[in-house]
Amino acid sequence: MVAPSSPPLRTLRDVLFEPVMRIPEAKRRRLFVMLLVIAAALFPFIDGNDGDIDAAANATAFATLALGLNIVVGFAGLLDLGYAAFFAIGAYAYGILSSYQVQPPWSDFWLPFQWLGLVGRIAGDGAGAVDLVHFTFSFWIMLPLSALIAAFFGILFGAPTLRLKGDYLAIVTLGFGEIVPIVARNTPYLTNGSMGLNGVAPPNFFGYRFGVDSMPYYYVGLAMIILLIFVSYRLKDSRIGRAWMAIREDEIAAGAMGVNRVKLKLLAFAIGAGFAGSTGTLYVAKLQTASPEMFMFPVSVMILVMIVLGGMGSIAGVVLGALILALLQSWFLQDLTQWIHAFGRLIDVEWLQEIELIQSIELIFGIILVFMMLFRRQGLIPATSTTAPLTHEQQTALPSRGEIQAALSGLGKGADLPPGTPLLEARKLTKRFGGITAVKELDLVVMPHQIVALIGPNGSGKSTFFNVVTGLDEPNGGQIKFMGEDITGLPSHAIVERGIARTFQNLRIFPNMTVLENVLVGTHARTTTGALGAVLHLPRTRREEAAVREWAMEVLTIFGNRLLPRVNHYAHSLSYANRRRVEIARAVAARPKLLLLDEPTAGMNPAETLELAAQLRSLADMGLAILLIEHKLNVVNDLADKVIVLDHGEKIAEGTAEEVHSNDEVIRAYLGRRATARV
Amino acid sequence: MDFQDLLLQQIINGLSLGAMYSLLALGFTMVYGIIELINFAHFNVFMVGSFFGLWVLEATGLIGQRSTLAGFPLIGVLLLAFICTMLLSGLLGILIERLALRSVRQLRGTAPMILTIGISYILYNVILLTVGADTHNFPNPIPVVRWQIGGAVLQLRELLVWSVSLALMVGLHFFVRHTRIGKAMQATAQDQEAARMMGVEVDRVVILAFFIGSALAGAAGLIFGLYYNFTSYVIGYSAGLRAFTAAVLGGIGNIAGAMIGGLVIGLIESLGGQFIAVRWTDVIIFSILILVLVFRPTGLMGLSVPQKS
Repeated sequence: MVAPSSPPLRTLRDVLFEPVMRIPEAKRRRLFVMLLVIAAALFPFIDGNDGDIDAAANATAFATLALGLNIVVGFAGLLDLGYAAFFAIGAYAYGILSSYQVQPPWSDFWLPFQWLGLVGRIAGDGAGAVDLVHFTFSFWIMLPLSALIAAFFGILFGAPTLRLKGDYLAIVTLGFGEIVPIVARNTPYLTNGSMGLNGVAPPNFFGYRFGVDSMPYYYVGLAMIILLIFVSYRLKDSRIGRAWMAIREDEIAAGAMGVNRVKLKLLAFAIGAGFAGSTGTLYVAKLQTASPEMFMFPVSVMILVMIVLGGMGSIAGVVLGALILALLQSWFLQDLTQWIHAFGRLIDVEWLQEIELIQSIELIFGIILVFMMLFRRQGLIPATSTTAPLTHEQQTALPSRGEIQAALSGLGKGADLPPGTPLLEARKLTKRFGGITAVKELDLVVMPHQIVALIGPNGSGKSTFFNVVTGLDEPNGGQIKFMGEDITGLPSHAIVERGIARTFQNLRIFPNMTVLENVLVGTHARTTTGALGAVLHLPRTRREEAAVREWAMEVLTIFGNRLLPRVNHYAHSLSYANRRRVEIARAVAARPKLLLLDEPTAGMNPAETLELAAQLRSLADMGLAILLIEHKLNVVNDLADKVIVLDHGEKIAEGTAEEVHSNDEVIRAYLGRRATARV
Repeated sequence: MDFQDLLLQQIINGLSLGAMYSLLALGFTMVYGIIELINFAHFNVFMVGSFFGLWVLEATGLIGQRSTLAGFPLIGVLLLAFICTMLLSGLLGILIERLALRSVRQLRGTAPMILTIGISYILYNVILLTVGADTHNFPNPIPVVRWQIGGAVLQLRELLVWSVSLALMVGLHFFVRHTRIGKAMQATAQDQEAARMMGVEVDRVVILAFFIGSALAGAAGLIFGLYYNFTSYVIGYSAGLRAFTAAVLGGIGNIAGAMIGGLVIGLIESLGGQFIAVRWTDVIIFSILILVLVFRPTGLMGLSVPQKS
C-alpha cells in the first residue's frame, strides 16, 4: 500500500515523455507539426517503392478533397452528397483546356491568347483544311482557375437550394452528383463521352516535365494539403468560421444574431467546391485522362466517409481520415487479404481463403459510416476539445451582485432620436397561423431608454410578436418601424444590423461552441471580416478580431464571475441559468439599441432572478431599451416603466404596473370570469 | 405509330412506372412526415425488396420467363409473392429502425442522414457481394395478353400492376384516415410531443411507419421485377431519386401528394424518354426537383408541411 502522502507513482509513460512534456504546449505542437512535414517530405526517399509513392500521391488528392468537404459538412453543417461533381468540374476544366479534345477553327480572336501562351495554332494539312486552335493552358494557371470555375458552379447550384432546410440540400446534391457525370457522358464534343478524355498535358515546372512519375505529383499534393490546412484553420477561427458553426448549430438563432445565412452557406459551398476543383486539376494531370466513371456517387461517399471517420469539423481529423482510407485501399487491404488467406489455409477454412477485401471496400465504408454515427460521432480526432474543469474555489465563488462592473463602452449609442420619436413602433400588426390569429391588430410603442414588459397568459401571442418583429415570421398585416424606418418583412439578420437583438424563450444557444464563441457570434452584424481577410489575416482583420474579443469579454463581465471563468467551456456543459446568461450576453454583444428578452428569468431561482433584474436595470441605465416577456410579476413590477398585457393576440391593457394590476380585463384574462365574480 | 398512338402508349407505360414510384414515394413521405428524416436506406430497401420478390417467386417453382400461369393459380401466386415480399421488406425496415435509427432519432444536424446513407450502402454492397453484379432474370408468371387500343398496346401485366398499386394505396389511405393507430400516426406527424402527451406511443408509430413504408417499397421492388423482367443491385439509386422527387412534388409528408407525384414523375419519365431522349431523363427529373424546391417547396399540392424549428 502506498501511503496517501507519498508522491504519485510515475508510470513508464510519464518517464518516457517527461522531457517532451516539459516543452510548453504551443511550442510542442509546432515541433510536432514540423516533424510531420519533414517526415512527409522525406517519405519518397525513405520508401523508394514506386507503387507506394503513387498511392501516397493519390492519398494527398483525397486529403485535399476531404478538407474541402469538411468546410461544407463539418463547419457549416450542410450535407453535400454530390461533392465529386465539383471534383469532376475541376478535372474536366483542366482536361479540356490542355488537350486536343476541343479544337475550334483558328481566327484572329485567338491571337492575344496565343501571345499569352494559352493556346497554340495547329496548321491545316494544306489540302483545304483550316488551321485549328490547340488549348495549352498551363497546369499552374489552371490550379487556381479550376477552383474559381468549380466555385462558380457551386454558387450556381447552391443558390436556389441553400435557402431551403438543410435536408433538401442532401437530396439536391445527390441529384447534382448524378447529373454531372451524365452531362459529361452526353456531351462527347467537350469530354469525349464515356470513352474518356485523353492526352491531358502533364504539368511543366520551369522546364521540368512531370511525365508519368508520381513523385512530383506527391509534392504538389503535399503542398496543397499544407495550404488548405492553413486556409481551413484561418477560416475556422474567424468571424466567417464562427458564423458557419452557428448555422450548423442552430440556423434560426444564427440568423437572429445577424448572420446572413444564405450568403454564408453559399460561401461555404463555393469554397468547398473550389478545393475540389483544384484537386480535380491535380488528379487529372496525374492520370492524364478523365472519364465520367471517375466521379460517380461512390467517390462522393468515400470522401464523406473520410471526414466522418476523422471527425466532422476537425481539420487534423479529416486529413487523418482521408489518409487512412486512401492508404487502406492501396496498401493494407492487399496485405490483409493475403494474411486472411494464409490464416484460412492454416486452419483449413474454405471461405476465409476466398475473401477479397478490396471488393468489399464499399461495404467497409458503409460499416464505418454506421459505426461512427452510432458509437463515435465526433470521429477519431474530435473537433471539440475538452476544457479543464473549474477549481473548487471558482465553482463555489460567491456570485457578484448588483451593478454591472463593466463599462460596456458605447452601448446604446446612436439611439438619439428627435424627442418624442418612438424607438420601436408597431402599428396594427397582425399574424395568423391558419385559422388562428396569434397577434391581432397590435399597436405597441417602445420609447428610447424604456423598459417595457409584455405580459399575458400562455398563448396570448407574446413570442409570436417577438418573432414578427425580428423577422422570423412574416406578418399578415400592419407595419413595424424602428427609429422611424420601416423594417416590416426584413430578413432577421438585417434587423439585427439595424439594432434589435433578442433571446429565445426555449434557449437557442450554440451548444458545441464555447461561451466566448457564442458571444462572438453576437458581434457578427457589427464586424466586416470576409473570407479573404480571414485567410490573409491583414492588419485590419487582426485589429477587428482583437477588438471584438475585448468587447465580448467586457459583455461577459455583465454577469460577473458567473461566466468569466467559463469562457472556454462549451455552452452545452453550462447550467440552465448560465445558458440564459450566455444568450443575453450574445444579444448584448450585437450592440443593439433595443433588446428583446423572452422570459429571461425562466428556470432561475429567486436569488438569481433578483440578480438578473438588477443587471438588466444597469443595462437600461447605460442607454439600452428593453422589451421583455416575463411571467414573474415581481420582476415586471421592479423593472418595467410600462406594462402591456396581451390576451388572444390583442392588447387588453397598457400602463404602469399598478394601473395594469387593478384592471378588470387583466384579472379576467388571468383568473377567468368566475374568479373575478367570486373575488 | 402516329403521334396519338405514341402518346397513348407512353401514358400507359408512364402510369405503370408511376404506380411504382408512388409506392416508393410513400415510404419517404411517411418517414419524413413523422420524424423529419430523409431516409436514404429506403433507396436500397426497394432494391432488396425486388430480390425478396425474386426469391419468393423462385421458391414457388417459377424460374425464368417460360412458366406462365393463368386464373386462380396466377392470382394465388401473385398474392403470395406480394404478401411475402412486403412482410420481408417491412421486417427489414423494422430492423433498420430498431438497430440503428432509434438511437439517433433525437439528434439534430446531419448525423441521422449520414447513418441512413451508411445503411443504404451496406444493403447495396451486401447484395452485390452475395448475389453478384449480374442482372438477374425475373420470373414472369403473367401470361402475355394484349389489347390493341388504336395503335397502342395495353397488357395484362400493366393492368395487374395498376390494380395492385391502387389496392395498396386505397388500403393505406383507409388505414391512416380511419383506424385508431392511423390517426395516432397523423397526430404524431403534426406534433410529436403533443401526441405523446395524449397517450400515443410514439415509438410504436415510428416503427409502424417504417414497416409500412418498407413494405410498400418491397411491393414496388416486386413490381419493378415483374415490369422490367430483371433486377439488379443497382436499381435503387435512380428509382429512389425519382421517387423522392415524386414525394417532394406532392409535398413531402403528404400521403395523397406522394401518390399523385409518383404518377406525374412516371409520366414525365416515359413521355420525356419518348419525345426528348432517354439519356436526358435523369437530367429532366432532377431539374424538376430543383424547380419545385425553389418555387413551390411545399409541393404542387400546396398543402403546408408541419415544420419543426
